[in-house]
Amino acid sequence: MKRPGLRARVTAGFAVGALLVSAAMALLSYQITERYLLDERERTAKRAVLFDARIVAAGLDTDNPEVLPVLRSLDTGANRRALIWRDGDFYSRTVVDSDLTDSLPQSVVDLVGEGKPGVQRVRIGGRAAMVFGIPLGDSTALYEVDYMSELDSNLKILGLVLTLVAAGTAAAGALLGMYASRRVMRPLSTVADAARDIAGGRLGARLDPATEPDLARLATSFNHMVDQLSARMERDRRFAADVSHELRSPLQTLAAAASVLDRRRDQLDQRTATAAGLVVEEVQRFQELVTDLLELARSDQPADTAPVDVAALARQVCRHRGLPTTLVTIGPGTSPVWRVDRRRIEQVLANLIDNAQAHGGGVVAVHLAQQPDARILQVDDEGPGVSPADREAIFDRFVRSRSAGARGDNDGTGLGLALVAQHITAHDGSVQVLDRPGGGARFRIELPPEQP
Amino acid sequence: MIEDDDRIRLSLTLALEDEGYTVHTAATAEEGLLRQQREPADTVLVDLMLPGIDGFQCIRELRRDDDVPIVVVSAREDTHDIVAALEAGADDYLVKPVAMKELSARLRALRRRARTGPAAPADQLRIGDLNVRAQAGEVLLRGQPLALTRTEFRLLCELAEHAGQVLSRQQLLERVWEYDFGDERLVDVHVGRLRQKIEDDPGTPARLVTVRGLGYKMPR
Repeated sequence: MKRPGLRARVTAGFAVGALLVSAAMALLSYQITERYLLDERERTAKRAVLFDARIVAAGLDTDNPEVLPVLRSLDTGANRRALIWRDGDFYSRTVVDSDLTDSLPQSVVDLVGEGKPGVQRVRIGGRAAMVFGIPLGDSTALYEVDYMSELDSNLKILGLVLTLVAAGTAAAGALLGMYASRRVMRPLSTVADAARDIAGGRLGARLDPATEPDLARLATSFNHMVDQLSARMERDRRFAADVSHELRSPLQTLAAAASVLDRRRDQLDQRTATAAGLVVEEVQRFQELVTDLLELARSDQPADTAPVDVAALARQVCRHRGLPTTLVTIGPGTSPVWRVDRRRIEQVLANLIDNAQAHGGGVVAVHLAQQPDARILQVDDEGPGVSPADREAIFDRFVRSRSAGARGDNDGTGLGLALVAQHITAHDGSVQVLDRPGGGARFRIELPPEQP
Repeated sequence: MIEDDDRIRLSLTLALEDEGYTVHTAATAEEGLLRQQREPADTVLVDLMLPGIDGFQCIRELRRDDDVPIVVVSAREDTHDIVAALEAGADDYLVKPVAMKELSARLRALRRRARTGPAAPADQLRIGDLNVRAQAGEVLLRGQPLALTRTEFRLLCELAEHAGQVLSRQQLLERVWEYDFGDERLVDVHVGRLRQKIEDDPGTPARLVTVRGLGYKMPR
C-alpha cells in the first residue's frame, strides 16, 4: 500500500489531535453541567416535595381524614405527580397516575418502609424522572414522581451543541494542519525548484538562507553542495578545454606534415607508404576527436537560438556528404523555419547522418514535423537497429555501436551521439532511438514547441 | 604567413608549397608587417596569439594600408575572438587544426574572388543615393567614393544586384565567398562592417536590412 504523503499525515494528525482534545473537553463540560443541573433540580424538587408532605400530613391529621381531597389540594404543577400510600393502598388523582405505582423503584419503597425518606432517578416510559418517597407515620407515605422533560431536552441540546463544537474543532484542526504543513513544505518546494533548475543546467540557482531562518542550515548546506558541484564541473570542463586547446598546435603541425607525406605516398616504398597512410588517417581521427571533445566541453552552455530553415540545413548537410537532398521530407503543415541554435542543430544532423552512414546501413530519411506539443526531427536508417539494452548507452561518451560489430577504420570518435544528446538537452529537448517501422533504427528528436 | 610556432610554420610552409604556393614566413607581427610592405603577398595568413603586437592589431595594421585578403588561422575558437578578428578586417577565420584540404579550398576561393568581380554584374547600379560601379570597382555614396575591401565590395554588389530580394546567409556564402559550407558569422560580421561604411546610422540600418530568420536585403 502506498504510504500517504507527509502533508496528508500532518493534516490527519492535526485533525485527530483536535478531535481528541475537543471531545474530551466536551464530555467533561457535559458531565459537569449535567451534574450541576441535576443537583439543582433535585434540591428544588425536594423542597417542593417536603412542602407537599407538610400539607398532606396536616390534611390527614384530622378526626376523619379523607385522602383524595387532600391529594387534590396539592399544587403539583405540570411535571409532578403525587401518590399517597395509606394502609396498604395507593391513592392517585387520576387513573393515569395510578399506573405509576408499578414504576416506583423498590429501593425508595424499601427506604420508606424503614421510615426513611428516599429519592431515586429513573426513566419512566422513556422519560427521565425523580421519584421521592416521604414516610408520614407508620401506614402513610407520600410519593411524588417529578418528570424532568425540560432538563432532559436541555441536556440533549447541550450534548448536540458540544458534539458539533467537537466536530468543528476537528475540522478546524485539519485546516490548521493543512495550512501549517503547506507553510512547512513551502521552503522545501523552493529547494526542489532550485534542485530542478540545477539539474536543468542553470548552475547559478541558489537558496537564500535569510528568508527561512529555521531552514538556514539546509539552505547553507544546499548552496555549499551546489558550489562544490559547479566548481567541480567547471574544473572538468576547463580541463577538457585546456587539454584540447594544448593539443591544437601539435595537431596542426601533424596535419600539415601528414598531408606532405600523403602527397608523396607513391614515391615511398611499400612499407613506408603503409605507415604514412596510417599516420594520415590517425591524425585526421585525432583531429576530429579533439574537435568533438572541445565541443562537448562547452556544450552545456545554453543554446544560442535564432530562426533557422532546418530543412535547408538538413539538405545542405546531405549535399555536403554526397547524399541526395530528396532524403529530407517535411510533415504536413510544418514550417521549416525553427528557432534553434544553428551551429548545434547542424552538428546534430551531421552526427546522426554520419552515424547512420557508418553503422545503420545508410540514411533512408530525414523528417521534420511540427506537432502541437513538440517539434520532431527524425533520422532513419536501414541498419540492424539498436538493441533495447543499448538504447540509453549509445548516447554516452566513447560508446560505440555493438550491434554494428567490429570497428571499421572510418569509425567516428565515439563522441558523436553524446554530442547530439548534449546539444538537444541544451535546447530543452530529448532524443531517443526507436525501431523504424520496416526495420532499421530511428533517431527521434523532440524539441519543445516554438514560443509564440 | 605570420605564425610564432616554428613547427607549425615549417609544416604549413611545406604543405602549402606542395599545393603550389610560394610562402614567405614571419615569426612576429612586426616582422610580417615589414615584409608585407617590402614584398606584398597576395594573401596573408595570420595567427592571433603572437608575441609583441597581437594578431588583432596586426590585422588592423595590414587592413589600414590595403585590401589584401587576410585569413586567420588560430587555436582560439570563441565566437568573441572570431567576431573580433573579422571586425578587425580579416576575410576568413579557420580554427586549428585545419586540414590542408580545407585551407587550400579557402585560399583558392579567396584568390578567385580577388581576381574576378561578381558573376555578371550590371555596370551601374543605383540604389537611392548609393551608386555601385561594378566594373570600375568603386562605390559612391552621395557622390563620395567609399573605401571597401574586396569582400565587402563583392557583398555589396551581390546585394545591390538583387535589391528588393532577400538573400540568405548561405546564398551569400556561396555567391560572395564561394563556399558551399561555411560559417554564417562571416556574413554577419561583413554585413556589420559594410553597414559602418554605407549606413548613416549603423545601429538602425536602412540601406542594408536584416530579414529575421531569412537573411539580408537592400530595399529598392
